[in-house]
Amino acid sequence: MTISVQSSILQSAQRAFPFGPPILELSSISLRFGGVHALTNISFDVLEHEIRAIIGPNGAGKSSMLNVINGIYAPQEGSITFRGERLSEMKPTHAASLGIARTFQNIALFRGMSVLDNIMAGRKLHMHASFLEVALQLPRARREETENRAAVEEIIEFLEIEHIRKTPVARLPYGLQKRVELGRALAAEPTILLLDEPMAGMNIEEKQDMCRFILDVNDHYGTTIVLIEHDMGVVMDISDRVVVLDYGKKIGDGTPDEVRSDQNVIDAYLGVPH
Amino acid sequence: MTIVKLDLDTFPKLLMHHAEERGDRPAIREKSRGIWRTVTWRELAEEASALAAAVSARGLQRGAHVALLGDNRPRLYAAMCAAHMLGAVAVPLYQDSAVDEIASSIASAKVTHVFAENQEQVDKLLEILPRCPTVQCIVYDKDRGMRHYTQRELVSYDSLLQQGRQLAVEKHDFLRAQAARCSGGDSALLFFTSGATGPAKGVVLTHAALIDRARVAASLGQLKDTDVAMAYLPPGWIGQILFGYVQPMVVGYCICCPESSDTMLADMREMGPTYFLATPRVLETLAKQVSLRMEEAGGFNQRLYRSCMAVGRRVAARTLAGERLSIGDRLASMASDLLIRGPLRDVLGMSRVRVAYTAGDAVDPDLLMFFRALGINLKQLYGSTETGFFVALQRDGAIRPDTVGLPVDGVELKMTPQREVLVRSPGLFREYHGDAARTAEAMNADGWFHTGDAGELGPDGQLRIVDRMADVGALKDGTPFAPRLLESKLKFVPYIREAVAFGDGRDMVCALIDIEMAATSRWADRQNISYTGHADLASRDEVYALIADCIAAMNAQLASDPALASSQIQRFLILDKELSADDGVLTRTGKLRRDVIAARYRASVDAMYDGRTEVRVEPGSGEQAADAKIRDAKVVTSAHTRRAA
Amino acid sequence: MPDFWFFLEVLVGGLLSGTMYALVALGFVLIYKASSVFNFAQGAMVFFAVLSFVGFMELGLPFWAALPVTVGLMILVGMGTERFVLRPLVNQSEDTLLMATIGLAFVIEGVAQLAWGVDVRRLDLGIRDEPINWVMDKTGMLVSQLDVTAALVAGIMVAALALLFSHTKVGRGLRAVADDHAAALSIGIPLKHIWMLVWATAGVVALVAGMLWGARSGVQFALVWVALKALPVLIIGGFTSVPGVILAGLIVGAIEKIGEVFIGPYVGGGIEGWSPYMLAVLFLLIRPEGLFGEKIIRRV
Repeated sequence: MTISVQSSILQSAQRAFPFGPPILELSSISLRFGGVHALTNISFDVLEHEIRAIIGPNGAGKSSMLNVINGIYAPQEGSITFRGERLSEMKPTHAASLGIARTFQNIALFRGMSVLDNIMAGRKLHMHASFLEVALQLPRARREETENRAAVEEIIEFLEIEHIRKTPVARLPYGLQKRVELGRALAAEPTILLLDEPMAGMNIEEKQDMCRFILDVNDHYGTTIVLIEHDMGVVMDISDRVVVLDYGKKIGDGTPDEVRSDQNVIDAYLGVPH
Repeated sequence: MTIVKLDLDTFPKLLMHHAEERGDRPAIREKSRGIWRTVTWRELAEEASALAAAVSARGLQRGAHVALLGDNRPRLYAAMCAAHMLGAVAVPLYQDSAVDEIASSIASAKVTHVFAENQEQVDKLLEILPRCPTVQCIVYDKDRGMRHYTQRELVSYDSLLQQGRQLAVEKHDFLRAQAARCSGGDSALLFFTSGATGPAKGVVLTHAALIDRARVAASLGQLKDTDVAMAYLPPGWIGQILFGYVQPMVVGYCICCPESSDTMLADMREMGPTYFLATPRVLETLAKQVSLRMEEAGGFNQRLYRSCMAVGRRVAARTLAGERLSIGDRLASMASDLLIRGPLRDVLGMSRVRVAYTAGDAVDPDLLMFFRALGINLKQLYGSTETGFFVALQRDGAIRPDTVGLPVDGVELKMTPQREVLVRSPGLFREYHGDAARTAEAMNADGWFHTGDAGELGPDGQLRIVDRMADVGALKDGTPFAPRLLESKLKFVPYIREAVAFGDGRDMVCALIDIEMAATSRWADRQNISYTGHADLASRDEVYALIADCIAAMNAQLASDPALASSQIQRFLILDKELSADDGVLTRTGKLRRDVIAARYRASVDAMYDGRTEVRVEPGSGEQAADAKIRDAKVVTSAHTRRAA
Repeated sequence: MPDFWFFLEVLVGGLLSGTMYALVALGFVLIYKASSVFNFAQGAMVFFAVLSFVGFMELGLPFWAALPVTVGLMILVGMGTERFVLRPLVNQSEDTLLMATIGLAFVIEGVAQLAWGVDVRRLDLGIRDEPINWVMDKTGMLVSQLDVTAALVAGIMVAALALLFSHTKVGRGLRAVADDHAAALSIGIPLKHIWMLVWATAGVVALVAGMLWGARSGVQFALVWVALKALPVLIIGGFTSVPGVILAGLIVGAIEKIGEVFIGPYVGGGIEGWSPYMLAVLFLLIRPEGLFGEKIIRRV
């Protein structure tokens, strides 16, 4: 699959949003479930405005890593630093209020609601009017409603899903559901977007569309993106830097080209016995 | 009726007139980000003036060509207004054209300024820039993804508009003078007709010709400035420009741009257009959607639908024949309207449609009657780019479904001995751009234009179009053969998207069939047929049987007409992939390019006539060779039919 | 009295008692929407709530003071449930949650009887279960004051809740939580607060339902089985629909009474007890999602 993008960190000067300082730093994260070591002593950072991929074979600990960033799992050791603020663990609501939005590998949408309502729900943190204000349709509530709707409509246009605005998500095909989920995450106007296998289970056309949207989001809004994939090919095309995990350990970190030629990484993917 | 004064002979003058007369009335509505936004006539005039000021500062000259590349958007039409204000010629192109088509159009018209809708179009233009040295300036509307583009030719619509708003004040007199200098005889628009044969020709039409045709159409349709039309067909086609630019300019009605082609139906329901133009392709799609949905409804709903449509057909046919309706018919008609026809019109967004036309290609009488049975006043319209679109149309009270109606005001018709239709009218084009030889070939010294269509003029003055001259032929035994008639009949079948009939110089008629994937796959699902894709489904024996039944039904219909009995389709082959304009086998308006098809599918066609039941299909680039089946269709033997050996 | 008025009297009586069913069922719907679990402890909460209310009054608190104190207590119960039952079970299957509510039911029942004893008590709300005079004078119908009051109170509760859930942040949050926990968390909906709020609300609804039932038939352990009355209402109305259970409550009330009075004599009476269940079974056969329940779309 050919997707032409500037994928080298050296080209960051030409980007609409040049890389900033590290926005997220993970240091010495270890996570255990009972006796199982899901993650062992993992450290890496994410620069502002970059597309950072976490790859690895199945069971390498990629999803656990994302769940640590997002606060669903609390690591036993290590710390997370977000914009210079050091935390020993993240909480999901705190992560959301810091501007960390995410999508899920197995699509977590509000299936009973329409596309519009789903994306609107993503604006949750941008709604402030109280119950009474809403009930009485006071000016602030009305203005807020209009603003939020406008923001949501911008996303709908951005993701080219105008035609399914009113459709209940449960009725949509898989690829479109993934796109709606991305829309809901974008609605929060996130600073960091976590994507859990955004291309899993898609056909080649859907994958290409998704790649284009991910790049466009990064380019248009300057959103920092952390994404997980087990399919190396796609990721290498769109990422600025890649972390490689295997059995819960970090075995590689660098630009796609560096990672591709790293012997440890090649071994992990070709299945050299440990 | 509000047809404006006759001294308004150019588009800029008309625009200024509307800005004064009905400045606060809507000119263009656009659904964007979920809401309908309105541009009034005053705003349109103001925006066009600002644009004109800015573009003229960027070197647009009188008589130069401005290409427009994008979907129907208020800004596209504002750009067209601006070009006309400066005395330039607007060249609307098909927005889905491939790079090479755009390059040849732009090069041959020596376009200097281009208006492009978005990044996709800009990318195409930048690619051809080296081949088109005349292009000085590319204006783009949507800035998404445009951040990195640094080419000096590029300028965003927004910034241009901003510059123009400042300039417009100081250039006010200049703009007035430019608009005043323009006269009706000046060229206004240049359309590229992706002719069914040969390379595209640039057809030049003047302000006067277009405005004249629109005035005639407006008086026939009794149009008012309260009318509403949808702008959803490609702007590269003259039909869209006449219904979305020229007629609104003459009458002052409002056009509505849907959010995207996917939302067209829903948007149309919201706006409820009163004046509607559709190509036969659009109508086929709509009719197929309706009949498919009804077929799937099953049971009571389906029976109700069938009986209501039967009533509708009967009433429509009687009305057309000029018979009086019995009280029973009237009651049945009212009941069926309440139960099915009314709700269906509403679903199609046509409950407010007063006048609807279909044009651009042959339309099957059954298709026409389907919409008339629904209670929609759909009429055929005959014309081409060269003839200013309005040549003949069906009139209320005198509609004969197999004809295209009576010639409209100003049109003179003449038939050559070879039955070719000749047209003389004030709406004729000026010339093929930069091609005096072909202009002279098509239009003789007395101003008669050779349409290239074969037809007949009935004693009642009704014009019947048989086919393209080039396509009309004869079977080996001398019976005349016109493929278009058969094809349009086949295309009315929900499972058939396109059909190509062969028979000229042969002893029997054979056809290539392109299945309608959506309908056929749903049919297959209901029959529990599993398949992997288009090619697989198209090769299924079950699908062959289905299509054979459809063809047999049509053959039975043909057998009852002595002139057509020998045109029954005897053998057919189902194509393993869609015929598409991107492969060059269709024009951008969806017409067949027979020469290309005949060449590409030569092996398949020969196999049909050789009596083989299978043929190895030549693989396209990057595809695997596959075997296609050929099957016989049931032919009705009558006194007129001679069985082929 | 003409037959028509008699029929109307039976119907009105049925509809009025139906509002009470609806009220009990509403408690179930709230929790089902937020946690996708059938709350077995709802009956116990009804019992506990009204027993506590009567208990406080016996301790000498006047009506106006006992009410807010009990409301406060039910809110505490809701918060406790969230903290000690639901939170440890985040991301567990619905079956696990169901078992937890069964356990919760025993705990609440036990605590209630431990604290307030096992005697049957009378609850006097100052409204008597007697026919309204002027209605009787005008039409000859016997319509109970208590029934009308109960219906009014239930109506107000339902309206308030409907408004809460359709028009507020909490309501939107609740719908989101009901649909998908992980997704709700990821957009920053505080799952814990929503659960706490919902269980507290369910507790207050239980109190109101318990007071109305208790005033009529005495405050006793049998109130626990009020939950059984709610089951057919839930099946008919749909587990997730507030308007659905209101309508279903009315239908069940009406069917029960009309069946008993007009059909009962032909089959030897006793229809009241099982006719709602018959109707519920019918619904399970032809419309398993209930009147307004969300159709469960499964992709094959």
